[in-house]
Amino acid sequence: MSDATAGPRKRPGSPRKGAGKGAGKGAGKGVSGRRLGRRENLAGYLFLSPWLAGLVLLTAGPALASLYLSFTDYNLFDSPQWIGLDNFSDMFADPRWRKSVEVTLQYVAIGTPLKLLAALGAALLLSSRRRGQAFYRAAFYAPSLVGASVSIAIVWRAIFSDDAIVDRTQRLFGVDIGGWVGNPDTSIYVLVALTMWQFGAPMVIFLAGLHQIPRELYEAAEVDGAGPWRRFVSVTLPMLSPVVFFNLLLETIHSFQVFASALVVSNGRWGPADSLLVYTGYLYEQGFVNLRMGYASAMAWTLLLSVGLVTAVLFWSQKKWVHYEGSER
Amino acid sequence: MGLVALGLLASGCGSGDGGSGGKTEIRYSWWGAQHRADLIKKTIALFEKKHPDIKVKADFQEYEDFWKKFNTQAAGGNPPDVFQNSHAFLRKYDKKNVLLDLKPQVEQGNLKTDDFRNGLEKAGEVDGKLLGIPVGANTFGLFYNTEEYKKAGVTPKDGWTWKDYYAGIEKISKGSGKLAGDSGNASVMYLYDLVLRQQDKAFFTEDGLGFSKADLKKWWADNLRRTKAGHFTSPKKVQQARPKPALSGKLSAGEFSWDNFLVRYTSETDASIDLAPIPTTDGKRTGQYLSSLMLSGSARTKHRAEVAKFIDFMVHDPEVGKIMGYDRGVLATEPQFEAYRPKGVDKEIADYEERVKDRIEPITPHPAGADIVEAAFLRIGDEVLIGSTSVDDGVDKFFSEAETALGS
Repeated sequence: MSDATAGPRKRPGSPRKGAGKGAGKGAGKGVSGRRLGRRENLAGYLFLSPWLAGLVLLTAGPALASLYLSFTDYNLFDSPQWIGLDNFSDMFADPRWRKSVEVTLQYVAIGTPLKLLAALGAALLLSSRRRGQAFYRAAFYAPSLVGASVSIAIVWRAIFSDDAIVDRTQRLFGVDIGGWVGNPDTSIYVLVALTMWQFGAPMVIFLAGLHQIPRELYEAAEVDGAGPWRRFVSVTLPMLSPVVFFNLLLETIHSFQVFASALVVSNGRWGPADSLLVYTGYLYEQGFVNLRMGYASAMAWTLLLSVGLVTAVLFWSQKKWVHYEGSER
Repeated sequence: MGLVALGLLASGCGSGDGGSGGKTEIRYSWWGAQHRADLIKKTIALFEKKHPDIKVKADFQEYEDFWKKFNTQAAGGNPPDVFQNSHAFLRKYDKKNVLLDLKPQVEQGNLKTDDFRNGLEKAGEVDGKLLGIPVGANTFGLFYNTEEYKKAGVTPKDGWTWKDYYAGIEKISKGSGKLAGDSGNASVMYLYDLVLRQQDKAFFTEDGLGFSKADLKKWWADNLRRTKAGHFTSPKKVQQARPKPALSGKLSAGEFSWDNFLVRYTSETDASIDLAPIPTTDGKRTGQYLSSLMLSGSARTKHRAEVAKFIDFMVHDPEVGKIMGYDRGVLATEPQFEAYRPKGVDKEIADYEERVKDRIEPITPHPAGADIVEAAFLRIGDEVLIGSTSVDDGVDKFFSEAETALGS
């Protein structure tokens, strides 16, 4: 899917092809090169085998089993009963399932762009060569190291409770809406803030992307009289767009799978009033608390297909806005 | 991440039946806090000393995690041999053939069912099978902050009515104190059960709900009105305080729960907390009953006799009673009850049970799926009180979810 749209890239993607086209490098190999290639393939697969075994046994196998279970009524104890598409029709009629979709979409739609903006902003600040820059980079990355841990989510919950620091601060400014955690209208923003704060991984990728942009482009733009904003919009953004695309893709997929932070912030109840009922949380509850593993499997496959669809749309949209250097656009 | 951990735990416990040196190993798991675990581990040591041929492997979690882990293990064919259980789960797991029928063990003499107080030995009987043996008994009560009640001039009495109670709550909420009179009960299934029982109904029947939509609409509308009037603690605050109850979090002057929770309440707050009788509808009936935590065996255990002997020891041995106290409720058998001299908090629990002894009625059944219904009642009740769902919508939602849960 990606290669069809991406066109020829100036990236270290396919070294063998590159070597063939290269100026005479490896030209003497000729026919025997192909056989060598096949043998190399075999060795490659051998080296891959531990990972392949993992893929088949731990990922593909259970995934296929869950595909089967999604068409059954399975309570973990009795053997699965084939019920066709009933799980799926139950799901679309289930108000809590719809609520979980709503909460998750809200989280993805608000959280992902904000997180990427934060990451890009920090990367721009940290990309210039300045004394102590390495320290700042490490410091900005630190929240991502601890951010995934349960303890931070607990701290987060405490910060956003009634009469805690956020509540007291906003009251100084005359905003009296109470703590965010206990209010169904605001609790989702606690999660959004938590994910935003963990911008370290996309930031590092943005940093690498920024360093790839040739300095001559900026110099040329400056000669043409472009100010900093103009340089950012006309040079940085287009040159960075493949990296933006990559980060957007990764973070979107990641956001759909939010689980632990919602579990901890809501204290395992996905509330108040189901306001933190993220998709995977509802899936988990149906499977392991209500013992409806068939239903949970149907939910899992629906999520997989939906994320696949969103990914496909993103790939399709990149034609419009992602600029690959050396390609026609 | 959590799922993987669960899986690893489940498989990690798989090698537990052989044991070494001719010893039989049985696995025992329960839910509760660290305090309970400390006590239980002492009783296990005692059992192992008296039965050197049996080794007991112990494992515990908090209540909600317990059932998630248990379900995963049981589904994998590897549940603990013996485990803590309660009335609410008997039918659910019996239907899934998870529970060991202990009747044959009683007949073989591995387990005695005599000496139980108040006919408790019958608490674990379902459809002619014996699925659990009670370790203790508890009953519902009103926990209240004595200083706040005194300040407002409210005195709980035996046989007081809901009218008296709510008048008192209003007084406390409007008085000089900063606390609401009550933590809010709209979503407490066990309290609503008592209110229904006072009207000759019950929350559950053998296979469904024992009340109508109109009943629940009245109950939730009433609770919503009192919440809005400020007589109950704001549900948002209650939610945020969890898992700490609003009473010990000093957000309210009273709330209803099981009497053995007095141990927990008093350990969590410096306020003085005491137990009072449940208000009545007619001046007589509280509708209360004895519930119990039990020990059950797994239907898949390879060591039925050992499991039966273990349960027998845990419910009858006087030393075990002395160690456990009333942590799991007032001790279930005479020898244990006699051996333990309650002091402090346990004494207050004993006094309370003595005081309400004549009001105890038989327990009503909990059908399979009751635990899911309780969770839905809690969740939707909170939504109604917070105001994100109207009373009518909430009632419809609850009945539809309850139908699904009880039908499956």
